Amino acid sequence: MSDEPIAHFEAASTIAVVVSSNEPLLFLSADQRVIAASTSFCRAFEIEPATIPGRPLAELGAGEWALPGLASLLRTTASGSARIEAYEIDLERPERETRRLIVNARTLDDGDSARVRLLMAVTDVTDMRAEARLKDDLVREKAILIQEVQHRVANSLQIIASVLMQSARGVQSEEARGHLQNAHHRVMSIASVQRQLSSAKAGKVELRTYFTQLSESLGASMIADPARLSIAVTVDESSVEADVSISLGLIVTELVINALKHAFPDQAQGRIGIDFHSAGKDWTLCVSDDGVGLPTGEAAPKPGLGTGIVDALARNLDGEIEVSDAHPGTVITIRHRAGARRPASRPAAE
Amino acid sequence: MLNGKSVVLIVEDSPIIRMSAVDLMESAGYVALEADCADEAIRLLESRNDIDLVFTDVQMPGTMDGIKLSHYIRDRWPPVKLVVASGKAILEEGSLPLGSQFFPKPYDGHAIADAIGRLLAEEAH
Repeated sequence: MSDEPIAHFEAASTIAVVVSSNEPLLFLSADQRVIAASTSFCRAFEIEPATIPGRPLAELGAGEWALPGLASLLRTTASGSARIEAYEIDLERPERETRRLIVNARTLDDGDSARVRLLMAVTDVTDMRAEARLKDDLVREKAILIQEVQHRVANSLQIIASVLMQSARGVQSEEARGHLQNAHHRVMSIASVQRQLSSAKAGKVELRTYFTQLSESLGASMIADPARLSIAVTVDESSVEADVSISLGLIVTELVINALKHAFPDQAQGRIGIDFHSAGKDWTLCVSDDGVGLPTGEAAPKPGLGTGIVDALARNLDGEIEVSDAHPGTVITIRHRAGARRPASRPAAE
Repeated sequence: MLNGKSVVLIVEDSPIIRMSAVDLMESAGYVALEADCADEAIRLLESRNDIDLVFTDVQMPGTMDGIKLSHYIRDRWPPVKLVVASGKAILEEGSLPLGSQFFPKPYDGHAIADAIGRLLAEEAH
């Protein structure tokens, strides 16, 4: 018996379709002889096309396709009781790297029910799997690295905070102590962002949590009697980029420190409000107090370090500062309007 | 207690942070002892019986980190109070012994002093 009779019965178009398949494909008889193989199959698994027709699958190449599990599954597929979907095999060849293959097989449905033939598609996923593993490793490594960096940053900030804290306790001058304490608050304000970021998704900082933490930390260190002075945070669902949040946090820190220091010289009670809301790219930040209000005329203090920082940061965020009297107290509003840049930040030619 | 003052042991490998913590504890009116690693802390705990509270960092060189140290202390000296600080923002829940207090770094000195004050006050009851 030669191989010819088998091939003879197949429609030339069927054979042509199999041979030209982009995906490695075998066309098998029910007894697992190869009727035709795609060129892509021959190329991928280094088998001479001329040797293929009529040969049993188990004898292809150097016999590397003689896999009992695969043969048994093809048998059940041929009998119609199963269909191979994504069956994984390891193809081992001498002096070749083992390839991980995914096999899909089904009977050919061409209306000829008397003669069963099988289509077996083979996908080599070795490289894909290796890539996926590499990617997983990289993702894991990156997570570890980020954790390590965050830990280091937190420790470095702790060192700075410790130095400032200790210096503040050590100095005699009330003014110097105030400056050192403020510096300490600023460091803590940046540290809160860092902490927020470590639990945030995609580098965005959720402002409500951040401002709440910030106000708690400022309150804990600056408010001696929480029954007298309080800080209320009203923030919508806004999340902003990390660098924007650092600027906003520092602005809030400065304004709250200012209010705590100057707004309530002898009030029985006082309340500071931190308010932020956004619509699209526009946002508004308000820090208000119900204290003594703005000093006027000669009594107005020169703008200190605090307002200088607020000015610079607000400008950097393309925000406009408005200071108004709230009767009682003061409201400082910083408004950012998308596209509306302050002329001062983009000096035009005269 | 030593001469009516609570004794706080600070375990921290960074000398600057440790110095500042010692200063913080002393200005709060406590006696401050220092150790730069868990092994040194255990030596101190073994050599004296007046330590009321241990304030420890987590990441430290040596055979034990701060989490292991806090468990070791809880098992061996159950009455000693524990305060743990770490640069890792989120510690796995339940990784610290019951009753210990955790602070992310950088911590605020006032917050730490308040927490320690509260823990030590519990002891009086």
